[in-house]
Amino acid sequence: MSEIQAYVNERVLVVTSDGRVIVGTLKGFDQVTNIVLADCQERIFSPDDGVEMAPLGLYFIRGDNIAVVGLVDQEQDSSLQFGALRAQPLPEILHGA
Amino acid sequence: MLPLSLMNTAKGRPIQVELKNGETYNGHLMQCDNFMNLTLREVIQTSADGEKFWRLSECYIRGNTVKYLQMPPEILDLVKEERFQHRSGRGGRGGQRGGRGRGGQRGTWGGRGLTLN
Amino acid sequence: MLFYSFFKTLVGQTVTVELKNDLSVVGTLVSVDQFLNIKLDNIKVEHEDQHPHMMSVKNCFIRGSVVRYVHLPPAAIDTALLQDAARRESQQSTATAKA
Repeated sequence: MSEIQAYVNERVLVVTSDGRVIVGTLKGFDQVTNIVLADCQERIFSPDDGVEMAPLGLYFIRGDNIAVVGLVDQEQDSSLQFGALRAQPLPEILHGA
Repeated sequence: MLPLSLMNTAKGRPIQVELKNGETYNGHLMQCDNFMNLTLREVIQTSADGEKFWRLSECYIRGNTVKYLQMPPEILDLVKEERFQHRSGRGGRGGQRGGRGRGGQRGTWGGRGLTLN
Repeated sequence: MLFYSFFKTLVGQTVTVELKNDLSVVGTLVSVDQFLNIKLDNIKVEHEDQHPHMMSVKNCFIRGSVVRYVHLPPAAIDTALLQDAARRESQQSTATAKA
């Protein structure tokens, strides 16, 4: 496994294959990239409004639906102006399409 | 911590399951296995658009249709407690699922059951 | 396992990984595993103005199943050697199929 271990107990940003962006503390993972995130929030991007933060609590994401797990640079993250960010939500990934 | 042991710990508690097709199921987790097949009791099913609701007394969800599970935050602490109990109970190695994984060629995974995060 | 070994020889190189959600991520290849999951360091998403979703991420893990393309640095690849390795692997697999 390509060392997600290094991210355990760190803040991570997960991009899922349905196009969502979820930030949380990585609590666990396994060989098929099932992951557990604590204190999650979803970051909902929209072209007309700033980024909406939706609290989700404790989340278990099945490996099939994971695209990217990124380590969040806390300092840089807290300097971002989410209220002013405008972007299309990420597209969904359709496997085999 | 392994995701599937967290799921096991959530047995008997209320969880929310979102399927790949966007439907959600809220109910008490009764059974689960390593394929992530689940049975829930006292379920509220919500359609993908959030418009329609159904009450089901019981339902079975095939693991490969699951996208996310949302669980009560307290179970994170319970997993840790359970693991300690397992360890003191049988001299330490491995936990519930010692035989998992794919044979011997991947030695790096051997000690995984013991990591504490 | 050929491309697993192949990608291992590229560790340390700068690559661009295009995902099936149309994000392109440029970064230094840190590691690969048998599923072709990829770990990158010092990443930058191309066209970040349109894709600001991962702006605060510098180091990431990409699930192999969502990779569409990996753009490779030509200088780092010995195509003759790769061709040779591909032949050898196919010979090996036909040999084991007969046995």
